Amino acid sequence: MIRHFSKSLCFIFFSVIILCGLYPAVLWLIGQGLFPFQANGSILTGPDGKPVGSLLIAQPFTKDEYFQPRPSAASYDASASASSTLAASNYLLRDRVARQLGPIVTYGGGPKAGQLVAPDIEAWFRQDHFAGQPHIVAQWADAHNALATAWVNSDPTHSQYVDAWAKAHPTVVAKWVKDNPDTPQPTAADLAVVFFETFSKENPGKFPSRVTSETGNRKTVTTIQPVSEGSDIQSIFFEMWRQDHPTADLRDVPADMVTTSGSGLDPHISWDNALFQLDRVANKWAGNLKRDPAKVRQEIYSLLEANAEAPMGGLFGEKMINVLNVNLQLRKRYGNPS
Amino acid sequence: MWLLPIALMATATVIAIPLSRYAAWIMEGQYRPPRLLAWFEKRLDNGAQTWKQYAGALLIFNTVLFIYGFVVLAAQPWMPLNPQHKGMLAPTVIFNSVASFMTNTNLQHYAGEVHLSNYSQIFFVIYNQFVSAAVGFCALVAIIRAFRGEKLVGNFFLDMWRVVMYMFVPAALISGVLFIQQGMPMTYHSSYQVSTLEPAAMGVTDNGQAKPQTIVVGPVAAVVPIKMLGTNGGGFYGMNSAHPLENPSAWTNFLTTLDMMIFPFTLVLLYGRMLKRRRHSWVIFSVMALLMIGTIVWAIYFDTLKPNPGLTAHPTARSFEIPNPSAPGGKRTFTVPAVAGLPVDQHLGNLEGKEMRFGISAGATFAAVTVDVTCGAVNCEHDSLNPIAALSPMTGMWLNCVYGGKGVGMINLLLFLIVGVFLAGQMVGRTPEYLGKKVGAREMKLAMIALLVHPIMILGPTGLFAATTWGTKAINNPGAHGFSEMLYQFSSSSANNGSAFDGLAVTTGFADNPNPPPTGKQWDIATGLVMLLSRYLPIIAPIAMAASLGYKKPTPFGLGTLRDDTPTFGCLLFGTIVIVGALLFLPVAALGPLAEHLGPIPFGG
Repeated sequence: MIRHFSKSLCFIFFSVIILCGLYPAVLWLIGQGLFPFQANGSILTGPDGKPVGSLLIAQPFTKDEYFQPRPSAASYDASASASSTLAASNYLLRDRVARQLGPIVTYGGGPKAGQLVAPDIEAWFRQDHFAGQPHIVAQWADAHNALATAWVNSDPTHSQYVDAWAKAHPTVVAKWVKDNPDTPQPTAADLAVVFFETFSKENPGKFPSRVTSETGNRKTVTTIQPVSEGSDIQSIFFEMWRQDHPTADLRDVPADMVTTSGSGLDPHISWDNALFQLDRVANKWAGNLKRDPAKVRQEIYSLLEANAEAPMGGLFGEKMINVLNVNLQLRKRYGNPS
Repeated sequence: MWLLPIALMATATVIAIPLSRYAAWIMEGQYRPPRLLAWFEKRLDNGAQTWKQYAGALLIFNTVLFIYGFVVLAAQPWMPLNPQHKGMLAPTVIFNSVASFMTNTNLQHYAGEVHLSNYSQIFFVIYNQFVSAAVGFCALVAIIRAFRGEKLVGNFFLDMWRVVMYMFVPAALISGVLFIQQGMPMTYHSSYQVSTLEPAAMGVTDNGQAKPQTIVVGPVAAVVPIKMLGTNGGGFYGMNSAHPLENPSAWTNFLTTLDMMIFPFTLVLLYGRMLKRRRHSWVIFSVMALLMIGTIVWAIYFDTLKPNPGLTAHPTARSFEIPNPSAPGGKRTFTVPAVAGLPVDQHLGNLEGKEMRFGISAGATFAAVTVDVTCGAVNCEHDSLNPIAALSPMTGMWLNCVYGGKGVGMINLLLFLIVGVFLAGQMVGRTPEYLGKKVGAREMKLAMIALLVHPIMILGPTGLFAATTWGTKAINNPGAHGFSEMLYQFSSSSANNGSAFDGLAVTTGFADNPNPPPTGKQWDIATGLVMLLSRYLPIIAPIAMAASLGYKKPTPFGLGTLRDDTPTFGCLLFGTIVIVGALLFLPVAALGPLAEHLGPIPFGG
């Protein structure tokens, strides 16, 4: 017993020196000596000489002048990688994808080929009929209680809006409390579903959304108001519009554009995804630089081609683009976006 | 698409042949090390041990290792290499992590880049990954020696030293250099702050400054080689091998997958070499290869060749009748309406939770291989695999012998083998024999103890957690998939695998976490205990079994002897594994992944 014990200690003592001291030190020497760029995280420098990011880590881009990376479940936080962990069967996955699709989907064929679907979603929404029944928003909240609650919790202004609504509708709240005796003091989130039901009847064809308006002295103020158009409606209600229009011929969006990666930091997009974004990027730069869009498009296309890579030289997969790398070259070539 | 798994299987087999020769040379003590290394060996060698002494040394060493791990991890706040002043992990998380890393499981109830300093990564993670892998390796070698009839099965500490220093360290150094060249960080720094190319794209702070992006780096290239070679799987970063700095390219993905395959492949051949029954070991090798190919093909077929069913159309409405005494007619009818598809081009398969740079079938292939060899590293989110594709990683964990972990996979296979031989003996009415020795009641009892620990440790706790709020409060997907999350966590713990359906809320992390998951403590303790029990019982009982069998008098080879080097024997073994595995786990498979696949999609919300 004691012999085994002392030999265990002896083994741990020796092996800690070698495995925790020597082994990493040797790799550190080799790494820092031979491959300093890689060994320090592949950090790229920007036009002003300051580090702008890692070649291997996705970072967010919001401007239309830039290619955008895949959506990130980690909000592009490179100090806390995360995936969505949504199962294929989970409705929340479908909802997330549909919301992203709504504003960008175009018709694939028919008389409207190439045009955005979004205006039609808004027109359908104003009609306020889903599956032959009136009141889209009420049906939405009924079918997806969790989404309605999530909307209330997503922003403090949302819950304030619901609180104000609750004050103005004491009878509705009283009835809700009577039906749910366990919750005598309902919060805004508790009332989410009944709020949307009432809202939908009082404001047919409208959805509460952020509206930014200018007040007298050049200050802007953001409030929640019932609206009948805008990105909220295009994204939240695309899925229901689709169920009402199952045969509409829509152009497919590359899957990597609407799915989150395993780490939330995937630095690449597929070649198809880059081409999908190419027109937007090229038109924006052409507008900024007052140049011929076709020519700018050609330039950027060549840039993409020059920077395309593929897993193991194409042996294991299809062409893809490193977003930061290409955007950095756009920035160096065309200057600061407006 | 199929090239990647084919290349992997072929390369791993080709490497395993010479490596098994090298491993046998080392473990038989034929290598005469230079004086410096010999000095270490001399300090550690306290003489050849009987199997009982060997097992005792193994258990005492692991007890000391547990204390070492606990002290190292608990000391994190006061140790160097911690510029971000990462604090103390929650006590239950420390227990869970220590149990997890010493049992070669590497289930992580924390996120590496968030909760561990570089000090902990080096002294806790790297150290345990080297040593815990060697423990299983040594146990197998002891079993082989006992099968050979040797009363003295070698010295545990000397064996450990040889495995770690002469096999793992050189292999890890070679892999490490290749990995750094491809972009894996290797530095003692812990993070860099960079301003984003588009200013303020990360948002702005309260005082109007653009937020920088914080890029966590560290000695990643020292962790990853042994994480894969030792089939440990505990990543430097939370998202493991899906993280671009932990797996920067298709090349590193190929090499890391290969790294986790070579030693499990080698050990099967080592078994044959050391017992001088090479043909027998090739029969076992082929059975394992067949099972591995099965899991890989299953995963690729259902995950890479099929789209994510959550986004596609389900054009026909379906109705289900469910008995319900309160409803009129005693039945309630549920209707699942037809669903229109979303306009998404899914020709690359299910991309939710996948990375682009590894190649098309890389996520599915890795998912199957990592559970077969019980590594537990992941390069895609297993929680988001297509429902029925997830059956492949689960099957790998349930069988736990498709090459299996370092040493223990081969040991588990021996248990199935003994059961198979016994069944065959019963069928023809002869006393079963293995390696020319009669298999008696004592060997069968020991084999069954080791074999049954695994299903009991999976099904029992899964049932308990699924029936109580301990489990239901932790799941983040509704319905059958929520059950799968719990089932996966205990399968992974019991198989000492370490991969997870990450949606399960078990990441407590720091002791002062203001929002800990509601049942994090219960999960920490339960999975920790499962890992410990499922590790040491299936190591000790087989050593006893091997000794009991090995020391018997050999029976002469006769006409009626069951030959163990023929395809017939391979079929017997394959059948035993598949039938026993199916009997144990088909019911839970039906409740989890199968129910999700056949049920309504999308579901809930």
